[in-house]
Amino acid sequence: MKKFSRFLILGIFVVSLFSSCAKQPTQAIDAAKAAIEAATKEGATVYAADELKKLNDDLQAAMDEVSTQGKKFFKKFGTAKEMLTKVQADADALKATIPAKIEAAKNAAIQAQTEAKAALDEAKALLEKAPVGKGTKADIMAMKADLGGLETSFAEVQTAIDGADYFGASAKAATIKEKATVISDQVKAAIEKVKGKR
Amino acid sequence: MKTAFFASALFLCVFCSSSCQNPPVPPEVEKAKSQENDLWRAGAPLYAADEYARYLESLRLAKEKLIRQNVRLRWFRDYKEVRSDYIVILGQGDALIQKVQAEKRSQSQDFSQRLGRLEERMGKIKALTQLMNEHAPVRESLARAEVVSREAQILLRNEKYTELAPKLDLIDGHIRQAEEALFSILARYADDSQVARWRKLADDTVSESRRRGTTVVLVNKLARTLTLVKKGKEVAVYEIGLGKYGLSDKLYAGDEATPEGRYKIVKKNAQSRYYRALLLDYPNEYDKRQFALAKKKGLIPAQAAIGGLIEIHGGGNDFLTNGCVGVENSVMDRIFPEVAVGTAVTIIGSLESVDKILAGLRISGS
Repeated sequence: MKKFSRFLILGIFVVSLFSSCAKQPTQAIDAAKAAIEAATKEGATVYAADELKKLNDDLQAAMDEVSTQGKKFFKKFGTAKEMLTKVQADADALKATIPAKIEAAKNAAIQAQTEAKAALDEAKALLEKAPVGKGTKADIMAMKADLGGLETSFAEVQTAIDGADYFGASAKAATIKEKATVISDQVKAAIEKVKGKR
Repeated sequence: MKTAFFASALFLCVFCSSSCQNPPVPPEVEKAKSQENDLWRAGAPLYAADEYARYLESLRLAKEKLIRQNVRLRWFRDYKEVRSDYIVILGQGDALIQKVQAEKRSQSQDFSQRLGRLEERMGKIKALTQLMNEHAPVRESLARAEVVSREAQILLRNEKYTELAPKLDLIDGHIRQAEEALFSILARYADDSQVARWRKLADDTVSESRRRGTTVVLVNKLARTLTLVKKGKEVAVYEIGLGKYGLSDKLYAGDEATPEGRYKIVKKNAQSRYYRALLLDYPNEYDKRQFALAKKKGLIPAQAAIGGLIEIHGGGNDFLTNGCVGVENSVMDRIFPEVAVGTAVTIIGSLESVDKILAGLRISGS
């Protein structure tokens, strides 16, 4: 009887030891996937592409571990669960950073837009007061036309901002500012040319 | 019994420890993981999508084989096949990286050439705008094209080819708008029959000068020249300025176009506000007929007058007139004594068709 009891206790011990590891961490898998999905929806593809890739790689590694343990006789999903919990935590942390990145990109786009507007206004003001003299009128006419084209392009910056294409808006605004500055420099040179001849 | 109990416990401990320890994996597995990352960064999903998908599938199958080995008791694991599979995959990956880089180089070259051709077209159109005062709509479209072109250059530098392709299409669209505006202004100058009429006007004028032994003035609007012809021989050529819409044929007062046709000097003014001036007899009978026809067709405002006071005058050739022909004062000093009231002045659009130039713009498309 005593011997039987010992074997029974041992058997119960062994069964309980491995049965606690036997269940697939389905909840943890779903939670990790949902967290990555949430980060993606928040904008991680655009604003944190590398980090998102790493998350997906980590999730895949965790799923490989689940798959490995699933094929064993004595399954132990502890490690896999830890990995999945980390993926979820990392995804949640990444998601939390996205709004700040979006805000930074938006602010940068608005700043670029403001600078482009200032450059356009300066060029316009210079062209209005540019003295029409020998050798300058045709150039000034051409620059006014060019400025008109830049002003039309400038409207597209706001369209890009409204569409949350902040990087595109910044790039376009920077180009417009660059070209408007060139016009301003040319007008200033034309003004100097006329002044020099007086 | 005690012995059996402890033997069983010992067996269980050995079994648990062997099952719970991490199995060794071939080093190629970690290399493949790193390689997959490199491929993703290099843009394999974009530049070699099919091959990348096949590579991932091979990776997946090899991973499954690895897992099947990992679940075995460590004494029964055999990674030979797994290692072979991963070695093949690494080879696949290396070839794929080469292909992606070659594809990127090819795309870079292709986009660079395309952008170059677009910029060439923009340059040609910009040069043509120097021929005309009425270039505003052309230059506005060109300015928009230049903005997008600059954005495209940045995308090209950063190898963002998927974003680049639509930008090139946009540039092409703006250039086409510029071309259309240009063609609408220069359409008459590409019309062979119109150019032939101008040539005949010019030839008749020169013939008359030769026949009568007189001095005549020939104005070529597109070439921006005023030619003094004496007894049928060209004696001097001067640069001129025109109206804001100088390339158009004048139709009514205030249209700022320079008229075309055969005119005569009706007055010489040595005290003009523009230094010296030669007043022409615009509108002639032809102009009056055209004005009446245009009004009848509703092509000009009902209250528009035909206009007048078209002169050849000094004050410079680089400012916009209201339709007159402007020359430098020094040029006026040379012309003024050579002409008289009654001297013939013929104003034409061009002696040459711009058809080839305009066709060249369309041929060198993106």
